Amino acid sequence: MKRISLLIFVVLLALAACAPANTSAPTSAPATQATATRPPAGPATAAPAATTAPAAQGPKEIVLGAAIPLTGGTSREGGLAKKGYDLAVKEINDAGGIMLKEFNRKVPVRLIVYDDKSDNTTSVSLYRKLANEDKVDAFLGGYSTPLVEAQTLVPAEVQTPYISGGGATGTIYAKGNKWIFSTLASIEKLSITLMDWLEAQQDAGKLPKPAKIALVAENTSHGAEFIKGIVERATAKPDRFTVVLNEKFEINGKDFSPLISKIKTANADLFLADARQPDYTLMQRQYTEAGLYHKVVSYGPRGPEKAARDALGAASDYLVAANWWDATMSDPASKAFIEKYKAMYNGEVPEWYAALSYESAVVLFKAIEAAGTLDHAKVRDALAATNLTGQLVVGGTVKFKDNGQIDNPYLMTQNLPNQKVNLIFPKDLATGDAVVPLPKQ
Amino acid sequence: MSLTDIVSLLISAILLAGLYATMSYGLALIYGVMKIVNVSHAGFMMLGAFAAFILIHPDYGIKLNPFLAPLIVVPLFFVVGMLLEHFIVRHVMNAPMITSLLLLFGVWLIVQNIAYIIFTGDTRTITTPYSTMTIPKDLPTDLKAVIAPLMADLRISVNRLVVFAVGVVTLVILQMFLSRTYLGKAIRATATDADAAALVGVNTERVRMIAFGLGIALASLTGALLSLQLSFDPSFGGSHQLKSFTIIVLGGLESFVGVALGALLLALIETFSVMPPFNLPAALQDFVSFSLLVVVLVIMPGGLIALLKRK
Repeated sequence: MKRISLLIFVVLLALAACAPANTSAPTSAPATQATATRPPAGPATAAPAATTAPAAQGPKEIVLGAAIPLTGGTSREGGLAKKGYDLAVKEINDAGGIMLKEFNRKVPVRLIVYDDKSDNTTSVSLYRKLANEDKVDAFLGGYSTPLVEAQTLVPAEVQTPYISGGGATGTIYAKGNKWIFSTLASIEKLSITLMDWLEAQQDAGKLPKPAKIALVAENTSHGAEFIKGIVERATAKPDRFTVVLNEKFEINGKDFSPLISKIKTANADLFLADARQPDYTLMQRQYTEAGLYHKVVSYGPRGPEKAARDALGAASDYLVAANWWDATMSDPASKAFIEKYKAMYNGEVPEWYAALSYESAVVLFKAIEAAGTLDHAKVRDALAATNLTGQLVVGGTVKFKDNGQIDNPYLMTQNLPNQKVNLIFPKDLATGDAVVPLPKQ
Repeated sequence: MSLTDIVSLLISAILLAGLYATMSYGLALIYGVMKIVNVSHAGFMMLGAFAAFILIHPDYGIKLNPFLAPLIVVPLFFVVGMLLEHFIVRHVMNAPMITSLLLLFGVWLIVQNIAYIIFTGDTRTITTPYSTMTIPKDLPTDLKAVIAPLMADLRISVNRLVVFAVGVVTLVILQMFLSRTYLGKAIRATATDADAAALVGVNTERVRMIAFGLGIALASLTGALLSLQLSFDPSFGGSHQLKSFTIIVLGGLESFVGVALGALLLALIETFSVMPPFNLPAALQDFVSFSLLVVVLVIMPGGLIALLKRK
């Protein structure tokens, strides 16, 4: 009997131990971190009336809402995304707000930000709260594919436009949801860019043909799309690439030792991974501890993040990343953004998380202005018709495909010693040549 | 797999086993002396990791050498463990086992939630000058010239090696304490037969309090050591605790030698199960150890030691 009790208890414990990290966070802890709170609503009316009445004067403010991971596994990236939003809101309010033709005046913007604690369920609840209680006029997105994938259910449900710079996976936008938009190109395109660049290195005689690839990715739709892009190219061009290891891992991993052992024994030429920053940091640390070496090492879109480089030191040198934006870009829009960001955040150099959230907010402001009203459907239509040039994204143009996602090119970076970063692709943006194969340290 | 790969994996497994043994000794000690399963073990591993973080990380101003942090963490948690036993655990000692299990499970949840409030759910990493050093690459030049040719393509992480050494030294000290001091002998006597120990004058209440303190101190030591290798947050420790259960069940619940054997067996299984010919996905590492726990509980409840004795 004792044995059976112990067995049952151990199974219960296993369930507790295997539960997602943040579901065990205290439910009584402060759930929200609003940058401002909405004034008390008037008598119960239909949702849009809360921001549009009285019609003659128009709304006192345009209310936007976002649920961002400010604590939990992706809190660092979420915090940076919030900084980008805050900068965009400050900038538009310093200019008097967004011009609404319907009322023939500028209306200031107020952003409500909640902390979703990096938890999918919380994130969905908070977007519903933003719509149903805070009566927001539009949503700004959160960060990380799993969260964005979950929260993008809400915009269609409440018929409210949503734009994000934090969830790139193409499957999010392949569901016919007409209310969601993304300023990030798809992960499949990231894989294709990476493979194009690797082919260029092969053609330059810097990498072997065929090159053996050890491929690992997080067990999410983000990782699946990354793997798909790489495997499809390798299958199409067996003379160039062979995938000798194809493994998935759980996000927010606590120990990658068995995976590192597999990578080691795969004897590959290239190590390509798709991991978010905490996983990238731990995996690269264990990779270096194990004394591994590959001619090219990439963690997909991760690599130049300051927190990772601080934690890894020289172990992060020469990593290659495919990315949506980098502070080394020298186009006028990027230069202006970097200057404004540094001025607001004590000289801090922005990372792409902040840049793309800023970009998303700016695109939304311009769409509201183009719509001239806060009518949700009209703002959505204006977002769909967006065609902006001179923007932060690579190529400078923001234009959404029918699925709501942009299709801009990626850029590629390579970490250099002493926290420096080179843009290595495309050629017109490059600030230096790629170091390939990676030097043995 | 080449011979070098196999040797390299063996070394990894042994280094891992050292850590696993340290992780499990506290549980075995408490179970041996008090006959309760300390399911708050994970919570104190996590607190040990955060205590080391505070002592080591520059943001907190103390900036202690990473390998000296246990010298502060261990005594601190020894006292915490004794207080926990004195004010809480002692009161359920005579209750059915499920009472102490639920009580300590509650303690774990409380500890975890306090950590969420204090430290938030952010993932932390401790990076030290040793974090990415390997042998022979980072050895002094003269030594490297001698050792590098002997090691061929083998690389050993300095961090893991030092953590392993700290773990082994701790175990040796613990073993000497248990076998050569009056208090250690009293602990063993209480573990063997508490009533008989009391009859010959051992203060069993005091012994239990010290044993519980030692168990918690060992949990915190493991947390401090793991924090030098892995990322952690307040949910940290759950899967490690379950591995500890697997190890002590494999080891026969009360035998320290059995714990060491159990740790080695689990480390070997985890390391080699992902390799040919088994080739399990690396993501199933935890599945392997938990399956092993269930299998051992059902078919071999006496653990490895009982199996060896039977033969």
